[in-house]
Amino acid sequence: MSEFEPKIVAFFCNWCTFTAADLAGTSRLSYPPNIKIIRVMCSGMVDPKFVLKAFLNGADGVLVGGCWPGDCHYINGNFKARRRVALLTEILKQYGIDEERFWLRWIAASEGNMLKEVADLMTAKLRELGPSPLQQMGQMVG
Amino acid sequence: MSERIGFFICHCGINIAYRVRVKEVAEYAATFPGVVVAKDYLFMCSDPGQDLIEKDVKNFDLTRVVVASCSPRMHEKTFRAATQRAGLNPYKAFHMVSVREHSSWVTENEDQATAKAITIVRAGLMRVTNQSALTPSKFSVNPNTLILGGGIAGMQAALDIASSGNKAYLVERQPTVGGHMLQYDKTFPTLDCAACIGTPKMVAVGQEKNVILMTNSEVESVSGFIGNFKVAVNQRSRYVKSNCTGCSDCAKVCPVDFPNEWDVDTKMRKAIYISFPQAVPVRYVIDKKDRGPCVQTCPAGINIQGFVALIKVGKPAEALKLIMEKMPLPGSLGRICPAPCETECRRKEVDNPLAICQLKRFAADSVDWATLPVPTIEVKPESEKVAIIGAGPAGLSAAYFLALKGYHPTIFEKAPFAGGMLRFGIPDYRLPPAILEQEVNYIKRLGVDIQLGAGIGKDRPVGSLFAEGFKAIYLATGAWKSRKMNIPGEDAEGVMHGIDYLNLLNLKKPVKTGKRVVVVGGGDVAIDAAREALRQGAAEVKMVYRRSRDEMPAVKHEIQSAEDEGIKIDLLVNPIAVLTEDGKLTGLRCIKMALGEPDESGRRRPVPVEGSEFDIPCDMMIPAIGQQVNPAFLEGTTGVELTRWGTVAANALTYQTSVPGIFAGGDMFTGPSIAVEAVAAGQQAAISIEKFLLGEELTENRPVKPKGTDWKPIPKKPFVASRTKMPTLPVADRIGNYKEIETGFTVEQAQTEASRCVDCGGCCECKLCLDQCKAGAIDHDMTDKQETIDVGSIIVATGFDPMNPSKMSQYGYGKYRNVFTNIEFERLSNATGPTSGKLRKRDLKDPMKFTDAPKSVAILHCIGSRDQNHHEYCSRTCCMYALKYAHLLKDKCGHDTEIYNFYIDMRCFGKGYEEFYKKVQAEGVKMIRGKVGLITEDANGILTVKGEDTLSNRLVEIQVEMVILCTAMEARPDASDVMRKFGIGIGSDGFFQEEHPKLAPVSTPTSGVFLAGACQGPKDIPDTVAQAKGAAAECLALSSAGVVEVPPMISSIDRDICVGCQLCIGLCAYTAIEFNQYAGISEVNTAICKGCGSCAGACPSGAAKVRHFTDKQIFAEIDGILLN
Repeated sequence: MSEFEPKIVAFFCNWCTFTAADLAGTSRLSYPPNIKIIRVMCSGMVDPKFVLKAFLNGADGVLVGGCWPGDCHYINGNFKARRRVALLTEILKQYGIDEERFWLRWIAASEGNMLKEVADLMTAKLRELGPSPLQQMGQMVG
Repeated sequence: MSERIGFFICHCGINIAYRVRVKEVAEYAATFPGVVVAKDYLFMCSDPGQDLIEKDVKNFDLTRVVVASCSPRMHEKTFRAATQRAGLNPYKAFHMVSVREHSSWVTENEDQATAKAITIVRAGLMRVTNQSALTPSKFSVNPNTLILGGGIAGMQAALDIASSGNKAYLVERQPTVGGHMLQYDKTFPTLDCAACIGTPKMVAVGQEKNVILMTNSEVESVSGFIGNFKVAVNQRSRYVKSNCTGCSDCAKVCPVDFPNEWDVDTKMRKAIYISFPQAVPVRYVIDKKDRGPCVQTCPAGINIQGFVALIKVGKPAEALKLIMEKMPLPGSLGRICPAPCETECRRKEVDNPLAICQLKRFAADSVDWATLPVPTIEVKPESEKVAIIGAGPAGLSAAYFLALKGYHPTIFEKAPFAGGMLRFGIPDYRLPPAILEQEVNYIKRLGVDIQLGAGIGKDRPVGSLFAEGFKAIYLATGAWKSRKMNIPGEDAEGVMHGIDYLNLLNLKKPVKTGKRVVVVGGGDVAIDAAREALRQGAAEVKMVYRRSRDEMPAVKHEIQSAEDEGIKIDLLVNPIAVLTEDGKLTGLRCIKMALGEPDESGRRRPVPVEGSEFDIPCDMMIPAIGQQVNPAFLEGTTGVELTRWGTVAANALTYQTSVPGIFAGGDMFTGPSIAVEAVAAGQQAAISIEKFLLGEELTENRPVKPKGTDWKPIPKKPFVASRTKMPTLPVADRIGNYKEIETGFTVEQAQTEASRCVDCGGCCECKLCLDQCKAGAIDHDMTDKQETIDVGSIIVATGFDPMNPSKMSQYGYGKYRNVFTNIEFERLSNATGPTSGKLRKRDLKDPMKFTDAPKSVAILHCIGSRDQNHHEYCSRTCCMYALKYAHLLKDKCGHDTEIYNFYIDMRCFGKGYEEFYKKVQAEGVKMIRGKVGLITEDANGILTVKGEDTLSNRLVEIQVEMVILCTAMEARPDASDVMRKFGIGIGSDGFFQEEHPKLAPVSTPTSGVFLAGACQGPKDIPDTVAQAKGAAAECLALSSAGVVEVPPMISSIDRDICVGCQLCIGLCAYTAIEFNQYAGISEVNTAICKGCGSCAGACPSGAAKVRHFTDKQIFAEIDGILLN
């Protein structure tokens, strides 16, 4: 059996973290291909449903990326994300999803190197944790 | 109709194709359900690429288009436009996948990059069929522009916009426009004088009618969106109106100096100043902060900083006038005030507080009171009479202020002299009666009638005064009743209370003073009584106080004087019984005390130590543990209520008692307190009484006490003088007489002491400038002006800051006088600078003085730039200005001046730059390739520069007379505040980030907000001007279009699903959601919503959605990513 490669779904806010991902690209910083990015306008629009859906569909990890506190393009959307993620983490734990599978990180538009760092760290962590316990649960095809 | 998808993948030259096997991705896409055509192309964004999409939409009858290329932040607009041209709604039909930034550029392995590309392409293909048609809203564009920052970038942009006929609001934080460029002397490489090419721009922005210049102003907040911004601007008060002619008469008399920020502190300016002679607007400005802590603390609100400044410049009479605006007894209080102001004085952060009280005395003593001019008073009719009971500080002060307002006050005083506690409670050696007398006489000259020996009470009740024709009455009889100790034997012969003792002595009545005297208490009365007893012939005087020395309420230097005179102070001792024999005092039984927990006064409560009783033999005991109000004067008067402490009850703000028209103040209201509090009470009572007589509401429009802590920083200049010691009579000359002990400052001492003031408040409000200004332009009461400006576009041109090199200690900047920064050197070289353009060394002792020209100079490049400890970037201008300095030094100081340039690489990239480099080299400037590691200074100020010459691989050590550090350009420290207000980004170098480093160099993530100049990154003047013109062109393009499309990706709430829980309303940061109470649902205001999706993320029923980011669309992407 080939080595386990975790699948990570990343929700990045358009203004900071998505831009940081672009910067990581233009700076040619390579990181593991496990992370697949979905663009959202703000981390505050990441509905808990999106995260649950990703885990139910077999994601091994979910990463939410937003602007640093105080820097939100929409005043305070990232604070809403932070509250929501804190609650959701507690709920996920009850379904066997370790909190280390669900990350929220503040990555500013200028922090391409930090994006690479987070991608490296998260992939390594998930390789260590192994496949998500929910991976075999009802795969939903839209 | 089933979906027909077209898929197009870009090679991006080789940028994508070198890692991602684009053909393989296209082949995969071709197999995907619904895809009818899948193609790859070298440059999808090129014309033929876009053409390909348009043609295929038509040829294959496509309903959806997916392009896999660079980031959507780059070319989403391009492809949306192509899709639209092909006849499809771009929001419905088009989706873009980033296989360059998110795959080929960040993945090392070709297989992995291709696999990742296929996964994200699949997600895109699944998403696109879930998208819906959207139409952007259109809004009209306000044609005006706001420009933040009045440097060369801001000025240029403003002029360009103004020339189109639209309005440019130019907001500058400093009092003048100009920016860094106008601080410079010459500009490289042409050596044009910066002022010669810069001042015409300044004059133009000042005169151009379409430029609305707002200096001394800051943007508070920004709201709205492209084409329709609302910017709130605060125009800080200048205190000088626009009719200022710039004549400088005001500055000539201003007594307060500060380093001039424009000259980077190499030169002083006054508190009322103009940054430099060519400033625009040519309008002075007053540097005024919150009133100093002394002024805020003084109960009477005396303008302390003001009178101190006036004494400093040798104007004691003016100082006295300023004091007497608030307080009529400066000579008396200047001797005895415990000076609460001094406790707060910020000079104590340097050494010790200013001798404020003693300076006040100096001012009072320096005039002849008999001839002191009386101000012109607008006298009111004779009938406007006010009765004042008690000629103490409160009564005198009320009478003084009422008389100044033209009323006719009469003071009724029981005693044979005026002055109250000042006269009878304070010994003559501290406050000679003549001093008090001259102040009382002055008050009389204002028209105050003082009737001595005229007691008010039983025979002439307070209330009867109304019948005598007085329209208001002020009660200020003080607190004269001694507080009892409540210990056995207190009424024995030989016990006399402190205040009674002092009173009798002051009335020159016979008093028997014992030989061995014990004074109980630690306040001023106790100290005064003890020192009086000594003068009255006591052989031994001892004080007992139940707390420790720190808690003694008496004035510290008075305690010291008492001890100097031989008075013993027993601390932590409390009397518990008076020992008597045949009713006569023989001694005092005391107990030792220890300090326990702090009590309600904050002082540690003394507790008796058991078994520590001891006796002090004595034949006289003077208890001085406090006083109470004696309400005897109220006999025959009804209606005036007392508090349970026996003081008169009155309103704390207006001082009116329970009887309208009767006011009270001083000790009888507060209980025993200090004289300056009584003066303050009199001042307030006069305000109330005038309002009462005019029939105004007493509580309204009263003067507000100054507050706030926004003070000038403690100056960095070296401090020489410590607090001046008050000259005193030698101890030997004091005993047995009543000569005044403190003899007062000499003129010189007073001026030295006054110059210690750190001028917390900036302007001292001495108001000397008011008399000087012939135009009448100065208004010290001016307030800030808030304005909201509607504009369609914004240019941020906030510039840079030169790095402060003090943290690089190896260069000794700030320590060695002749190590200059580049900006300091520019000011030296500039004709309006500290040396009028002469290049001079600093005086080794006084950094504000300059001596002679340097004979050798080292110029150090890259200070803080290209340095991984500070800024990795190159500041781009230093090489060139370093060459300019070398040239200027040769030119101004002679061609024999030795100049050494320590550089890393020479970057002379602009037009004419290399030629300039060659020219300067030909002038004989020595170029050393290498960095300096250390600078040291010898006793004569000669600097030794140790560095490396990397071309010859050897260490060099040279001695020079001057060093210039070419410091880095860095982002402003408050750049992040600007970033948040305007919604722009900051790069890792701290400068504002442009939308694209090459193709969108003036745009920001917030549409309609543009960047210009060095706030975006280090740049020289030509580049700055070019960028400013670029930003202006963007704004004008917007204005000229007149209409702007706003992205349609905003929230919507499904009316059928919403349950009206209103959760979203609380979450919306823009208050864009309102509750429709008739329909019972929440509704989005589409003009305000920005589309952040806070509502959508939280809506429990799923009614709130962000268009283009719906559950279905995101779910489809997730499915695509995770499909096996």
